[in-house]
Amino acid sequence: MCETCGCGKPGEFSIHHPDHDHGHSHNHEPDHGHSHEHDHEHEHEHDHDHKHLQDHEHDPWHNQEHFHDHEQNNDHDHSHNHSHDQPHKRVIDLNIDILSDNNRLAQLNRRFFEGRKVLCLNLVSSPGSGKTSILEKTILALKSSHKMFVIEGDQQTILDANRIEKAGAPALQINTGSGCHLDARMVESALKKLDVEADSVLFIENVGNLVCPALFDLGEQKRVVVISVTEGDDKPLKYPYMFQSSHLCIINKSDLLPYVDFNTEETIKHARSLNPALEFLIVSAKTGEGMDLWFDWLIRQTGSVISPAET
Amino acid sequence: MAVEVINLAEREADKIMARSIQEITIEVGDLSGVEADAFESAMMLLVKDSILDKALISIIRTHGKGKCNSCNHEFEMNQRMATCPLCQAFPSEINGGREFRVLSLVIE
Repeated sequence: MCETCGCGKPGEFSIHHPDHDHGHSHNHEPDHGHSHEHDHEHEHEHDHDHKHLQDHEHDPWHNQEHFHDHEQNNDHDHSHNHSHDQPHKRVIDLNIDILSDNNRLAQLNRRFFEGRKVLCLNLVSSPGSGKTSILEKTILALKSSHKMFVIEGDQQTILDANRIEKAGAPALQINTGSGCHLDARMVESALKKLDVEADSVLFIENVGNLVCPALFDLGEQKRVVVISVTEGDDKPLKYPYMFQSSHLCIINKSDLLPYVDFNTEETIKHARSLNPALEFLIVSAKTGEGMDLWFDWLIRQTGSVISPAET
Repeated sequence: MAVEVINLAEREADKIMARSIQEITIEVGDLSGVEADAFESAMMLLVKDSILDKALISIIRTHGKGKCNSCNHEFEMNQRMATCPLCQAFPSEINGGREFRVLSLVIE
């Protein structure tokens, strides 16, 4: 469930192996989907909610406390229900971080990756910036030297997981239904099904969305934000959280630079003003331009995870 | 996220065997990344049939606070990449406004 846009329903997501696409995906999913889809009702309830909340706040509580208790000691009939409750009313101070549940699970995922010496990267972007294409090319280029696994996140379909499997890496598709991001619990569930081997790289391709995925730690070691030159150089300013929480920014579709008004320097400047440590790579997954630098970056990261420079 | 809050409230209420929750107070910082209004509407929708169904939901918004890395001036920060109003330097450290937490419950 997403606080930013309110989308998604608890437990709605489903996980699919690309191989078993039709059998599994449709079997599991529609059931869950439908059972949760009573949201329609919520819409109607909306009005009432508001009223309830307000009514209750003012009437039952304050009235009872002030009137019934003190004034109507003899009038047990009326005050009884209410006055019984009051002595038990307690204020509990909690101070609990609401993201703590996700963060705790993310931390468990992170330990799992560390234990298995798995480099886990969370790839985030807006839809259509080329995350899947970059992954396909990466898998084709590095599959002889590196073990790679992919968790794909999309609202619907197993198209991306199929593309990845075709490129040659085991993939698992998470469908978030109406949800707009992956969270640590979905990744944890996926990890139980996708047998991620030790000393490997796990790419998590998040749902295309620059807003909500920024707030959900999945347990990755590095977060990679992909933008494409067709998107406009003000992306970092518009979606600061995403750029602030990422380690690497890949600017994709560099082959289109001559045809679009995209100022690479401005983009980098904006993004660095939010996150001075952010690294940048300018690539074209289509032509292969700059992809070597990305592979180098990747291999450097695996170096620090898979064979840490420890003594 | 609203569901996270409801789950959290249910868990805490269970722990102390509360019969119901009368009130929940949630702090949302302006720089937390959480859109307080959207969050509030999501809560209103989702509390139905949960333990918070009849609870008063108070959302306290805290302003962002920044401290300039150059001159140490402290100021109210409305966005994450604010320049120091005093010396115009950048960047500034975020000192407050990132909170997103459940502060308290009133239970019965």
